[in-house]
Amino acid sequence: MNQKNTGRLSFFLDSVKNVYSIFLSMGRRAKKTKIFFLFSFLPVVIAFIIKFNQIFSGRGKIQGIYIFSNLIVVFYLQFLILILALFFGTSVASEETEGQTLIYLTTRPISKSAIVLGKYSAYTTLVILMMSVGVLLSFLILNVNNLGNFSLYKILLRDVVVLGLGLICYTAFFTFLGAFLKKSIIVGLVFSFGWENVIQYFPGSTQRFSIIHYLKSLLPAPRTGRFSFLMFRLEPSPTGTAIFMLFLITVIFLCLACILFSQKEYILED
Amino acid sequence: MKPIVETKNLSKWYGNVLGLSDVTLQIEPGITGILGPNGAGKSTFLKLITGQIKPNIGTVKIKGQKIWNNYRLFSIIGFCPEQDFFYEEITGWQFVTSLLKLHHFSESEVETRAQKALEIVELVEDKDRVIRSYSHGMRQRLKFAQAIAHDPEIIVLDEPLSGLDPLGRRKIIHLIKSYKGEGRTIIVSSHVLPEIEAMTKRIILIHQGKIFAQGDIHYIRDLIDTHPHIISIKCSNARQLASKFIQQDYVLKVHFSSSNDSLLIETNNRDKLFSLLPSLFIENKIEVDEITSPDDNLQAVFDYLVGK
Repeated sequence: MNQKNTGRLSFFLDSVKNVYSIFLSMGRRAKKTKIFFLFSFLPVVIAFIIKFNQIFSGRGKIQGIYIFSNLIVVFYLQFLILILALFFGTSVASEETEGQTLIYLTTRPISKSAIVLGKYSAYTTLVILMMSVGVLLSFLILNVNNLGNFSLYKILLRDVVVLGLGLICYTAFFTFLGAFLKKSIIVGLVFSFGWENVIQYFPGSTQRFSIIHYLKSLLPAPRTGRFSFLMFRLEPSPTGTAIFMLFLITVIFLCLACILFSQKEYILED
Repeated sequence: MKPIVETKNLSKWYGNVLGLSDVTLQIEPGITGILGPNGAGKSTFLKLITGQIKPNIGTVKIKGQKIWNNYRLFSIIGFCPEQDFFYEEITGWQFVTSLLKLHHFSESEVETRAQKALEIVELVEDKDRVIRSYSHGMRQRLKFAQAIAHDPEIIVLDEPLSGLDPLGRRKIIHLIKSYKGEGRTIIVSSHVLPEIEAMTKRIILIHQGKIFAQGDIHYIRDLIDTHPHIISIKCSNARQLASKFIQQDYVLKVHFSSSNDSLLIETNNRDKLFSLLPSLFIENKIEVDEITSPDDNLQAVFDYLVGK
């Protein structure tokens, strides 16, 4: 019995791996990826302008790492990772139904859950890579005169990990949304810039109903400054709880996406 | 012979629209043609037997197993969909190898099988071009390649000849027939009778979501032959030609167009009338501009058969 289960698991994992490698390769070439890769360079451009201005205006009092931390919260955490996760997560299911290519996948000896998990993993890898390149470049530009300070790299690593966790969690949620709804992008935008941006500022336990609450809990306490209001009223969860909750949300929404995708009948238009 | 595909009281609705109604049949190895006019329910039937959609009522079994969510069965099934949709940004080679990988073949086997499938459909030379740049015929052949690449026992082809030029059509028909001798089950749909006729004698007629008839193709041929047929001839001397036709006992009626340059002939023996035409034209020195058959389509035949 155990051997049979092990065989099934290894067959399933092999299916996930195959789907992953196919869609990682396809995703790399996709026009959508190229567009979003360019889009993810927006904070790099902003970092460049800020640094350029600092150097040539002679007003370089503000530390590069301080600007970098604000860039992470303002552009990455509250905007870019949401956009990347939304467009790649929802497309796990919707690009197959809208593009009518689903038929090529569902007539193969692989489970529908393997399709969801394989595509999710491939697209999450892509968005994490896109985000990491932008974050690294922004960091290098903003700290160009302080690159010998190794303590700064710890901050870089922490921020990349937090954003990566955010992408893993949000992409799982949007994968579920894409499998569930036809107009998932609109609902996803409302969730991203409505729910997430509002609920996180609610006092007490209410803010714990947003994913961003757990991500912000992993970042250091807010400093005073121009953008400190973005951490306003944050009552952070302990680090362990935050990581556990992000993991739990990811697992729950991926399971729901798999169940839904397996049971739902996608009728492709003739 | 043991049936490969079995359906029992199979019914499917799309909201209030009936897709298929109470279909009970068995399909054995060999080529089976699913014939019916557009919108008759052919694609719905094929989607049901390949587990793409769930039946509202009834069951579908492939080799005795239910098909819905039974992904393991797809190691023996190849499906060529009617819709012309692809992952446009990859090459033909990448398309076929990617789908073969999902069959858990080794890397070398994937390449061997992809090469063989693309050779069969004569796409080897164009395998490294992106699919977006393929012609319609090439895309049809690529769809066929992905359906046969894993060497399936059951091949389901939904309108594989649609939109192809005569040469492309001949190639695909030849390919389909070449699989017949290998003990496989091939189910192919079309709304064009001569296409099905060129591939098989065993047909299932679908009309308005129901199985109208099934069996040997001669049966439907006989039905068609008794169907009064209208032929339109546009020529230089329509009146003279009409006088010749009126003497034939298989010509039921002759009408003239308002401009008197063409005539409509109603016959109950289309083949005999067509064989007479060349000699009539030559003997009477009649110049012909056009010969058409306004109701030479399956819909007209079905309308006649169901007594509309």
